[in-house]
Amino acid sequence: MFEVSELSYCYPQSKVCAVDGIDFKINEGEIFGFLGPSGAGKSTTQKLLIKMIRDYQGEILYHGKPLHDYGNQFYEDIGVSFEMPISFSKLTAMENLEFFQRLYRKTVDVEPLLKRVGLWEHRHKKAGQYSKGMKIRLNFVRALLNDPKMLFLDEPTNGIDPVNSMILKDMIREFRSDGGTVFLTSHIMSDVDQLCDRVAFIINGKLRECDSPRNLKLKYGKRVVTVEYKEKGELLTKEFPMDDIKKDSFHQFLKTKDIETLHSGETTLEDIFIKVTGVALHG
Amino acid sequence: MARLAVLVKGEVSRLSKYGLFQATLVVTMFWLGAAWFMEEEMLERFVPLIFLLEATMMTILLVGATMFYEKKESTVNSILVSPVTMQEYIAAKVIMNIINSMISVVIISVAIYLMKGITFNYLLLVPAMIMVTIIHTLIGIKIAYMSLNFSSLLANYMVYVFVFLVPPVLAVFNVIRGVVTDFFILLPPEASNIILGAAFREAETWRLLAAWGYMLVLGVLVYRFMVKPGFDNFVMREAGV
Ligand SMILES: Nc1ncnc2c1ncn2[C@@H]1O[C@H](COP(=O)(O)OP(=O)(O)OP(=O)(O)O)[C@@H](O)[C@H]1O
Ligand SMILES: [Mg+2]
Repeated sequence: MFEVSELSYCYPQSKVCAVDGIDFKINEGEIFGFLGPSGAGKSTTQKLLIKMIRDYQGEILYHGKPLHDYGNQFYEDIGVSFEMPISFSKLTAMENLEFFQRLYRKTVDVEPLLKRVGLWEHRHKKAGQYSKGMKIRLNFVRALLNDPKMLFLDEPTNGIDPVNSMILKDMIREFRSDGGTVFLTSHIMSDVDQLCDRVAFIINGKLRECDSPRNLKLKYGKRVVTVEYKEKGELLTKEFPMDDIKKDSFHQFLKTKDIETLHSGETTLEDIFIKVTGVALHG
Repeated sequence: MARLAVLVKGEVSRLSKYGLFQATLVVTMFWLGAAWFMEEEMLERFVPLIFLLEATMMTILLVGATMFYEKKESTVNSILVSPVTMQEYIAAKVIMNIINSMISVVIISVAIYLMKGITFNYLLLVPAMIMVTIIHTLIGIKIAYMSLNFSSLLANYMVYVFVFLVPPVLAVFNVIRGVVTDFFILLPPEASNIILGAAFREAETWRLLAAWGYMLVLGVLVYRFMVKPGFDNFVMREAGV
């Protein structure tokens, strides 16, 4: 859907580029994630993809055509959720949504969406009186107003409680099941792990890895099995290489010992991130 | 066209939701209150001035305030990831201000007639008010671009008022006299004053035509070289509070 090559952008009056020669592809029907620490260039990349920043270097192709060639009809197709609240504070949530809805040709019924994210009973409250999490949920509904084919979600679960975070993630997955494509950014490892078909690591405006979370784990995970067992009242551990688990020696070990726990040495995305970039996700 | 109508409706309804429309009404009432106590001779100079201030100062202030809110609340970003174009966004601002100016025209004209029995040439007043409002909406947009936060918005506004608006106003009350005032036509508020003034008193034709021509050209230039090129940067800039 999107093909990006050698994309660079430097903010005016800024010496270092916020996005510095990145290449990636977003396939139709997938959830593609950007994982990176604060200031890495995630939001800037999103702004480039949604044509909010136009004077970039490099190439962005949307459905094989340069993004520059698309007029404002492009926006009928996409839904955008920003990292900050984007509602008129003195208007109610419903008035906000109705206003934005009228700007599109095709729109959806907001009632089920608002009910789903738990804002229906608060729809007549002024957006300025919403809590931070409520504002972000309202942003999410705003992004879905025009029944988009593609969603851009900048830190969609940031500042949201676990229950609502689950609901949003379910909705994002459903959006994909219905044929939608998603670009999302996050610095929360578990979000990316649970949602994304493919993830790219971004740091200082550069991409490092780009693959499915599973492949990354296979690539960087330690291929070992760790066994904890009890012997003479003492808790001991032993590691076996993954390739040995078909061997008799391993089976014999399992049979004869008093096994407490068994773990495959799966590394978290966060560990992999640190390994690849040398930088921790959180300061 | 339908989208533009939605934008204008949104602008107008937000004007009262954010209390800005009420604020302009208070200012209008203040001018009318002052007019109440004026003698006829003074009033003849003062009434055109009310219209001038409404279409220049109030317009810039409204544009600045709405754009400041839209930046602060990032709603301008939200509008611009919809099919709305820059031209539509700016046109909506212009039309909103024209509507506001027309409301002022009605209120002030009716009030002045009821209070003092004074009438003037409304057929000349209305187009002049529209023209002045358009120019000052565009100037207001430029001032909003230049302002990174509310205090710089106010500062830039004050600079505009003192440099461009105060001299012609002083000339109205004969504080400034002489040939220098002939060059005031180059100040947008003075050109505004001339085309508005034609609704109240005989104007020299050449001056009136020059002022209209100047306003038209100025409008095109301000849009082409100030408003249009600065827009992307304004949208992209981090919201400054
Ligand atoms: N409007 C702007 N003007 C100038 N520099 C900016 C602007 N926005 C971002 N930057 C700079 O560009 C770099 C990347 O910022 P960006 O917002 O893309 O990071 P991010 O990955 O989204 O971070 P976060 O997780 O904190 O949202 C940072 O160094 C930031 O300071
Ligand atoms: Mg960001």
